[in-house]
Amino acid sequence: MSARPTPFLQLRKPVSRRQKLLSALAIWVLFFGIWIVASASGLVNPLLVPAPQQVFATTFDLFFSRGFGSDVLISISRVLIAFALASAVAVPLGVMMGSFPAIEAFFAPFVSAWRYLPAPSFIPILLMWFGTGEAPKLALLFLGVIFFLITLIMDHTKNVREELVETALTLGAPRHKVVARVIFPAVLPDIVTAMRQMLAMTWTYLVIAEIVASTTGIGAMMMRARRFLNTDEILSGIVVIGVLGLLFDLTFSALHRWAFPYLRKA
Amino acid sequence: MSAETALEIREISKEFELSGGRKLVAVEGAGFTVERNSICVLLGPSGCGKSTILRMIAGLETPSGGEIVIGGRRVEGPGRDRGMVFQAYTSFDWLTVRKNVEFGMQINGVPAAERRERAERFINLVGLGKFAEAYPSQLSGGMRQRVAIARTLANDPEVLLMDEPFGALDAETRWLMQELMIEVAEKTNTTMVIVTHDLEEAIFLADKIVFLSSHPGRVKEVIVPEFKQGARIADKERAVKLDGYSDLEAHLMRLMREEGRGKE
Ligand SMILES: Nc1ncnc2c1ncn2[C@@H]1O[C@H](COP(=O)(O)OP(=O)(O)O)[C@@H](O)[C@H]1O
Ligand SMILES: [Mg+2]
Repeated sequence: MSARPTPFLQLRKPVSRRQKLLSALAIWVLFFGIWIVASASGLVNPLLVPAPQQVFATTFDLFFSRGFGSDVLISISRVLIAFALASAVAVPLGVMMGSFPAIEAFFAPFVSAWRYLPAPSFIPILLMWFGTGEAPKLALLFLGVIFFLITLIMDHTKNVREELVETALTLGAPRHKVVARVIFPAVLPDIVTAMRQMLAMTWTYLVIAEIVASTTGIGAMMMRARRFLNTDEILSGIVVIGVLGLLFDLTFSALHRWAFPYLRKA
Repeated sequence: MSAETALEIREISKEFELSGGRKLVAVEGAGFTVERNSICVLLGPSGCGKSTILRMIAGLETPSGGEIVIGGRRVEGPGRDRGMVFQAYTSFDWLTVRKNVEFGMQINGVPAAERRERAERFINLVGLGKFAEAYPSQLSGGMRQRVAIARTLANDPEVLLMDEPFGALDAETRWLMQELMIEVAEKTNTTMVIVTHDLEEAIFLADKIVFLSSHPGRVKEVIVPEFKQGARIADKERAVKLDGYSDLEAHLMRLMREEGRGKE
């Protein structure tokens, strides 16, 4: 046999863990490398693109001497409150719609119509109705995710296999117990996954709300920074939003693994 | 075996509405009786209406005509007196084997101590004693069907209904499961209606075979495997060797072939 060297690019052959890690590291090193070189060499205007080390220094400064922490906490609490309210409506409603076609027939025409309306188009009217407090922001986040969340949960509920429902019926379960004891636990892992996806969307609306109509929160800080041409602070805001989004996502996936051990294969 | 009737199927029919307003007569005037503590097998070519009949007995479909009577009462919907085991796996993945088997009893308000004791008994009966605390995702297909059987039996139904319960299993597991069903029938005195399109399975399990013709489904012939001389045979290999086994198999093959031709 001739020892032909294996090519670097192999069609659909999975790569080793080590190569995966190195590759992930490499792309980020490359990204920051180019950024550092570009700002150090004066190729880009430092006013528009500050060096990464400066962005990180500013981030620390923001947190430890300029009270940015309270903005971050406000943003997080907005996301969590609005998302909790949306889930409190969407989970029971979605499960009921997915279980009882009569309930679906009533709500679905309404829910799917609202899904096509971009939530930010409500900002002006929300500001008129609710003034400038927390209410319009929470309302925007709520409107932004609730209809998608209901639809996703309903679809997942409909996918619960008919045989499971029929098994429960032939064991003598009345309708409410079929929903509570079979359909709901069967769909719960998918509900958590849907919530994880929609939480990411809530973050998107948060930034919109805070940029358009807020004096507090991460988005508002970024808009203030723009007025004073503090590009480093704007980029700090972006980094913080990204990290928070990632942390929430990781929390949800940990929750999923912890709550549903039976999904793990033996 | 006593000849007391557990279940009476009286000339039931089923019409399905198809899209476009057309109607499909899946079952027409099918009637037979199932004796208490007996195993009745519904046999027939694929699509002849076996599942539809079983689902009507379970109360999951409503007959378009005729009626089904169990213990003197007319069937009006699903109930715990008619437990069903499906071909597809129906284990509740979020519950351990023990909780799966306790499920029906819990729904029906059986006290915890009795529940535990009955679950234990039926888990052991189907040979899953070592797996009581396992989750279904850790079990093989055959073991999951054992869970479904134990769960249904522990709920104490008057009739156990099974729709091609071993259809998805490999050949070896299938005959082990068939032997298990004979053992279960002997030990628990459960009345069973089992649907299959597998001749061997029908001959081995049945105290009585109801052969259905297709399009629409009617009872073509009711056959009692006389070669068993009124006793069940626990060992599949021995059953195959008995006088009369191959005659019955040949007879059923001929019936199957007639029905198969009818379809083309
Ligand atoms: N829900 C349904 N809607 C329309 N047709 C159906 C439905 N269920 C079964 N059928 C039809 O009824 C006939 C009998 O089906 P089935 O009882 O599943 O047969 P088998 O179990 O013997 O294979 C088939 O022609 C099938 O297509
Ligand atoms: Mg069938």
